[in-house]
Amino acid sequence: MSEPARQISMDMERFRSLLLDSVGVALAVVEPEQYRFLVRNVAFIEWFPTADDNELTLLEVLPTLDRAAMEAELDAGRDYRIEVEIKPKRRVITLAIELHRAVGPGRGEIMVQCQNISKIKELEYMIESYSKMIERQNRDLRKEKERVERLLLNIMPQQVYEEWKQFGVTTPQRFEEASVLMLDFVGFTEMAVSHEPTKLIAELNDIFTSFDRIVEQFGCERLKTIGDAYIAVSGMPESNPEHARNIARVALRFIRYLKRRNAMSEFNWEARIGINSGPVIGSVVGVQKYVYDIFGPGMNLAARLEPLCGPMEILLTGEMHDLIQQEFRMTDRGEHEIRGFGRKQIYRLENDLAPANDSHFY
Amino acid sequence: MAVTLFEKYGGFANLSKIIMAFYDKAIDSDVIGPFFDDIDMRRLVDHQTKFIASVMGGPVAYADDTLRRVHATLAIDRGSFDEMSRLLRETLQEFRLEAADVDMVMNEIEARAPAIISGQDR
Repeated sequence: MSEPARQISMDMERFRSLLLDSVGVALAVVEPEQYRFLVRNVAFIEWFPTADDNELTLLEVLPTLDRAAMEAELDAGRDYRIEVEIKPKRRVITLAIELHRAVGPGRGEIMVQCQNISKIKELEYMIESYSKMIERQNRDLRKEKERVERLLLNIMPQQVYEEWKQFGVTTPQRFEEASVLMLDFVGFTEMAVSHEPTKLIAELNDIFTSFDRIVEQFGCERLKTIGDAYIAVSGMPESNPEHARNIARVALRFIRYLKRRNAMSEFNWEARIGINSGPVIGSVVGVQKYVYDIFGPGMNLAARLEPLCGPMEILLTGEMHDLIQQEFRMTDRGEHEIRGFGRKQIYRLENDLAPANDSHFY
Repeated sequence: MAVTLFEKYGGFANLSKIIMAFYDKAIDSDVIGPFFDDIDMRRLVDHQTKFIASVMGGPVAYADDTLRRVHATLAIDRGSFDEMSRLLRETLQEFRLEAADVDMVMNEIEARAPAIISGQDR
């Protein structure tokens, strides 16, 4: 070999070893019988210091390597991959070690390639941990949302709530065809004095809960309760051609329910009910404290009929009488002066001429 | 709603990179490196990322009581705490957080020093 040729050859040798040491992965080549090292770069020795000893084999340097399993994979023409944890300095690092057989001429030397995948492992751990955290928070949020929704649905009808949720505001709506029921109890103030408050409220709560069921059964809505007063509407926010009949049926069922209840109870609950059909305006009122409320003549007339009632009486006026006279029996209570409405013919609702079959519970 | 530092600097995605870079420095430090011998770095990086997220207004909260409990057995002295602060400040600067924001984060952490430091200076 001439001097320049030898020079180039030496340079190539030097280049190869520089290249080998400068790559970010640890590399080694071992012969396939004893697994003695033929080549290993600086990174390999850094991670496996014992590999510096020429007497040691790969199997001794890397005792966790399962020779049989590895050879089975390599013989099948596949790469063999394991993960090991080492602690070259302070920090435990995770290495992915890949072994494959060299192709081409030769004895089938085994190439060993190690990469530090600690960062990937840390990231995987974090992703898992954050997913769990986010899922947990989502669950909590969903629960909270359901709770808020339930509360809001207590103070406004579903349809209004949907509008409020979507647009952040609700528009007042006029309902031409609606019916209103106003109920309160005769002598509630005296009852409040003479009975134990917890028991009285439990009773009232129980009654209103049953009222809610009756109201729902006839497609009406409970608007609100104020003390012992219970207000229900029909034909709003969803219109319903049956609104007058439905509210009349609800009123009759309320009375029937109370009679049955009184027969078995130490309490004697006597309701007065005013019902009326007429236009009302429904709207959410209030900025900080929302409440869905209704206004208008339909509401006012029902409210003013109620004080005219005797115990367990349901009163209504001529206009509503005309709407439902085909289906209900009513008696004339004569003309009365009603503030804001002048003289009105008043009727008492007696019973349903064709009671619905499904109402036997109340 | 005002944007939190957590959102401003890319949320968990970016924060986790900052914390990983911070621990590379921490482990190499002669002062605080030994604290990390035999520590499961995955869990530590995870917790630290959440902790820094919490001081940056992220969706996590660490009560001082929790901090006190997890640091109680480590006997961290003021010198180590300061070294940790120095390295974290350096890392935040390298990740180009604005100077005022770096100060804010560091002040938040300093405010929690009593919960973290539990040892006498060596």
